[in-house]
Amino acid sequence: MIQFSEVTKRYPGGHEALSSATFSIEQGELVFLTGHSGAGKSTLLKLIAAIERPTSGVVSVNGQNVGRLPQRAIPYLRRNIGLVFQDHKLLFDRNVMENVVLPLDIAGFDRRESLKRARAVIDKVGLLNREKANPISLSGGEQQRLCIARALVSRPALLLADEPTGNLDPGYAADIMSMFRDFHQVGTTLVIATHDERAITALGGRTLHLDHGRIAEATT
Amino acid sequence: MISWLRHQKYALTAALYRLRMQPVSSLLTALAMGVAISLPGGLYLSLANLGQVAGKLPAQPEISLFLDTLASDTHRQAVATRLKQPDIAEAYFVPKDQALAALISSQGLTDIAAGLTQNPLPDAWVVRPQLSSREELARVAHDLAKLPGVAETHLDSLWAERLQAGLSIGRASVWLLAGLFAIALIAISGNAIRAQVLARRDEILVSRLIGATDRHIRRPFLYLGALQGLLGGLAAIGVLAIAGTILRQPVSHLADLYGSSFQLIPPSPLEIATVLVLTTISGWFGAWLTVTRALHQVETAH
Ligand SMILES: Nc1ncnc2c1ncn2[C@@H]1O[C@H](COP(=O)(O)OP(=O)(O)OP(=O)(O)O)[C@@H](O)[C@H]1O
Ligand SMILES: [Mg+2]
Repeated sequence: MIQFSEVTKRYPGGHEALSSATFSIEQGELVFLTGHSGAGKSTLLKLIAAIERPTSGVVSVNGQNVGRLPQRAIPYLRRNIGLVFQDHKLLFDRNVMENVVLPLDIAGFDRRESLKRARAVIDKVGLLNREKANPISLSGGEQQRLCIARALVSRPALLLADEPTGNLDPGYAADIMSMFRDFHQVGTTLVIATHDERAITALGGRTLHLDHGRIAEATT
Repeated sequence: MISWLRHQKYALTAALYRLRMQPVSSLLTALAMGVAISLPGGLYLSLANLGQVAGKLPAQPEISLFLDTLASDTHRQAVATRLKQPDIAEAYFVPKDQALAALISSQGLTDIAAGLTQNPLPDAWVVRPQLSSREELARVAHDLAKLPGVAETHLDSLWAERLQAGLSIGRASVWLLAGLFAIALIAISGNAIRAQVLARRDEILVSRLIGATDRHIRRPFLYLGALQGLLGGLAAIGVLAIAGTILRQPVSHLADLYGSSFQLIPPSPLEIATVLVLTTISGWFGAWLTVTRALHQVETAH
């Protein structure tokens, strides 16, 4: 489903965040992305979602060369990808519910159906009683769960999660990870950047280890 | 198709929401637009009213009709009958003796008159046609001149022509002003939308990240521009209504002094609808002109 071949990403300023990365991820796989801070985990995820374009090499998703995708095709690529951002990227001018339905509004779903689906995922991440709250009033962990709910609401075939349990206490982290496992079991492809060793051992699956932008695969 | 409708509905809802979220700036923008449009709108209404006053003025353009000195009684009778037709509002006969007497008394020509052996003036009619447009006056004058027994007709149309010329300058100015203020409207709308785009930076960037197309992001701003224009049009009509209310009393007082029952005429529903449609389109157009550039600015700044 995802192929990187000789992908290098150099940011303006010359810093090489990813160096000649080559690997592939099959449909339905669960892959953990580990590495020190600054190793290039977020960069790798952004390349998959065409948020960044590779300096050289080919990133392909579902057979499409994502780095060469014309601007107008990118939205349709992203609609099939659930994104959990390291910095959440929530909108503070609307409540929890409105944040979660946003991807469905964008895709042009029927509003009533959207609200129903949104309520179901909000329930799943344990925020049902905060449905009407403004995200600014949520704790860091709650904001993170909200971001996860927004990523899941469109039932994407591919979920990219950047430190999804970074701010969560162990109880919630385990809940979120088991949610991810459920998704994995119904065939969703997941790529999760995390430091959470416990989750990795609990869920199993493959680990891609990054060290200063270089891939070192390790299986646990 | 259904999805298209949904997108439109979503955009309209989003636009209404944005309008509500910034009531003060929306109101100020609408007011700026309203004042701008009320200027050509007011001029237009003033002209319509002036045109109406002009139609009712007692001083009407007249046609002088001079009979042939040798005209037979049958011809004279035929002319009198012709002047009773509906395109003639009023006609009165001026016998040549009366005309001479009037001339002598008004010009002090007693000496010259005394030297005349016979009256050189012809019998005449003074005719006021039903309609006072220039073409109609010319047509009636030409018509009457062709009657047997009529020596010539003289069209006293200078006054009517001056009025028409004045009114047409006025009408041209209305269009000129309307054009200028439409540009102002587009600029006001464009500026308001630019500010809105910059204020909604986060929403735009996040929407992009989760799969919004250019069109999806642009659409609410276009609706917002159109709504803003519509509000501007309503504000203009409000301004004119207030002006009309203030002027009504003094105008009817002035009309009373002239013994006229003249009343200010308000704009027709069609005219109101036209203004609203034009302002809505201008608002939309202003948004369309700026939104793409503003979005680009937001995204590259990121
Ligand atoms: N937009 C950018 N412009 C310039 N340099 C960048 C940019 N984004 C990331 N970098 C640099 O690229 C390197 C990799 O960054 P990245 O965010 O991928 O790391 P990470 O593995 O996600 O780290 P963390 O665990 O702290 O999130 C870092 O050194 C970072 O400073
Ligand atoms: Mg990161």
